[in-house]
Amino acid sequence: MSKTNLLDAHCQAILQEYKDKLPVFQDAETNILALLKHTLKEAGIHLASVESRIKTEDSLCGKLERKGSKYKSLADITDILGVRLITYYIDDVDKVATAIERLFDVDWENSIDKRKIHDIDSFGYVSLHYVCSTEGFPFRFEIQMRTVLQHAWANLDHDTGYKSGVEIPKRYLRSMSRLAGMLELIDEEFSKIRSELTDYRRKVQKLVASGNLDEVPLDLDSFRSFLELDPFRQINKKIAAVNQAEIQEVSLLPYLAVFKGIGCKTLGDIHNIINDSFEGAYQIACYQMGLTDLDIVSSSVGPQNLCIAYILKRGWGKGGVRYFFDLLNGKEKSNEIVAEMIVEQAKEMPFMNLQ
Amino acid sequence: MKTKVTKEEGQIIVAFTGRLDTPAAQEANPVINPLLDEADKTIILDCKEMSYISSSGLRIFLTLRKAAEDKGGKIIIQNINDDIRSVFMMTGFLNLFEIR
Repeated sequence: MSKTNLLDAHCQAILQEYKDKLPVFQDAETNILALLKHTLKEAGIHLASVESRIKTEDSLCGKLERKGSKYKSLADITDILGVRLITYYIDDVDKVATAIERLFDVDWENSIDKRKIHDIDSFGYVSLHYVCSTEGFPFRFEIQMRTVLQHAWANLDHDTGYKSGVEIPKRYLRSMSRLAGMLELIDEEFSKIRSELTDYRRKVQKLVASGNLDEVPLDLDSFRSFLELDPFRQINKKIAAVNQAEIQEVSLLPYLAVFKGIGCKTLGDIHNIINDSFEGAYQIACYQMGLTDLDIVSSSVGPQNLCIAYILKRGWGKGGVRYFFDLLNGKEKSNEIVAEMIVEQAKEMPFMNLQ
Repeated sequence: MKTKVTKEEGQIIVAFTGRLDTPAAQEANPVINPLLDEADKTIILDCKEMSYISSSGLRIFLTLRKAAEDKGGKIIIQNINDDIRSVFMMTGFLNLFEIR
């Protein structure tokens, strides 16, 4: 016997209304999702995923069978259309909630912040649910907001067969509570780390902008900020001018490992290499490219020649140049050949022969 | 200058023979351009028989690299001689390609 046949006349009427209005729900789903995605993107909130679903006929029958008398009409069922927004960070759940409060009318009486209704001895790690409505759509809909970890919990929780608040065998209760607590702690720690990193980045950006480079430790964040100042522009332009070459911009992030590898501890150390090895870097380019008609270089050529000039000037020789290429290209036999060639060429360059 | 394209098991091998100078690069373009649509695959640029590369030749390699970057493919350069390796090095392009 189909589930539909088990329903009384009142529930049958609700079910028929659902069938009639299905296209309205489908339109609303498309529009609401588009609006949410656009708004959250504009607000700079990155979501792990956005999910939505319209309750299936089967699922609605089940609901009506269990508690159909509770609903006067289809409009009383708030979860026919459901949207789930999954964030990476716990702080972003509140940001998403604020955005939703601005976009839609929130039915506060039926919305639950399950995060706040936890008993001290209950287990679970739950999310924020809003029941919303919007102009032009005559039904309410539900939006769930949760982090990736809350989502993981919800799925695991569902899989165990025990819903929060339902009594579970005591021997499992402690383990489940510990796990929920751990997830909550991890979510909070992730957010804390993100805040601290943001503070650190701001501090580094200020130091870089103010020119206090000796005080800025060399790491990925500081190197990125440094690259925004285009520190190799001058040497690249000078090298390109040798053959009136076009400069192809490429990522210089691989040079972070190189500068660290040759002993740079702060951005000030890189700055010093630029100043002290500028002439040497230029001489290498003149020697290598001067007699060619090569009219294209990458923006990597400047830092490359600076590092080579620095290494040779410090007397690290072929081994040092090879090490540089190992850091840049990965360990390869051919790095030895290139290093040998450069050391040979450098013998004739003025910067190597200055006292 | 000859440019020969062979396709096998999800990868494309482009073999260059002779000097890849400006006129040769112009000749090679009609062979290379259709490969830009297939830059989601691994494209191997075999330089075993290549004796010289000019800026125009480098630009062909860079165009392929850009397409591979956009489409999630991979460009591998193989069998380059020391002179060509030196051109890649002095122009700062050595670390942009997987060279083997």
